[in-house]
Amino acid sequence: MTNQEDIELRLARLSGASDALRPSAGFSARVMFAIEREAAPSFLETTWFSARRLLPVAAIAAAMAVVWAVQVDGTVDDELATSYASMELE
Amino acid sequence: MGNQADAEDVVQEAYVKAYRALTSGEFDRRSSTNTWLYRIVVNGAIDAKRSRKRRAESSDEQVDPGWDGAGFAESRLALSELDDWLRTLPADQRAALVLQSMEGLNNTEIAKIMGVSEGAVEQRLVRARATLRQMRQKEEQS
Repeated sequence: MTNQEDIELRLARLSGASDALRPSAGFSARVMFAIEREAAPSFLETTWFSARRLLPVAAIAAAMAVVWAVQVDGTVDDELATSYASMELE
Repeated sequence: MGNQADAEDVVQEAYVKAYRALTSGEFDRRSSTNTWLYRIVVNGAIDAKRSRKRRAESSDEQVDPGWDGAGFAESRLALSELDDWLRTLPADQRAALVLQSMEGLNNTEIAKIMGVSEGAVEQRLVRARATLRQMRQKEEQS
């Protein structure tokens, strides 16, 4: 038997003999845990994601608040103008 | 890798990297999923072996070639023997030889996995076998 054949035979023997090797118990669970930890968003990501979803609602609320403020402001101006006019007449 | 715990760490890290690449769209699907996963594992194993070697050199520690845990004694012995036998080979030659002889991949697949040409793979395999032959001759002479 040549050296080359010897090498090939030894590689084949070791390959066959190590076929039955399996990961240790709990390896799959460990990998899944690592992936799930990777998949779980961080606090900043969660905050940003939630804020992004609330942005349209917040924009509408802000617009409604501005409209309400302008209306209230107009009413106050009218009432003040009325009372000043009354005072002048008196 | 030399022991099962280190090998499992490499595979776990490879799964996480693969997951990250898939979710971020980094995997461009130019190569098959199989080849791509092999590449991640092989690169991870080579990197881990390098860093472990550096750690062992800096702390003057010997790497434990033994296997922990119980069961599959014969397989573990075979893998331990393989690790001892191939230990003298450079990481790239060792990876090419393992992919061909243990995983049954052809040179084209190995070239894609290792990101080199088929000629470079052939060269690594020839050199690896030449080193193993020389080792065998030395053993016989002694």
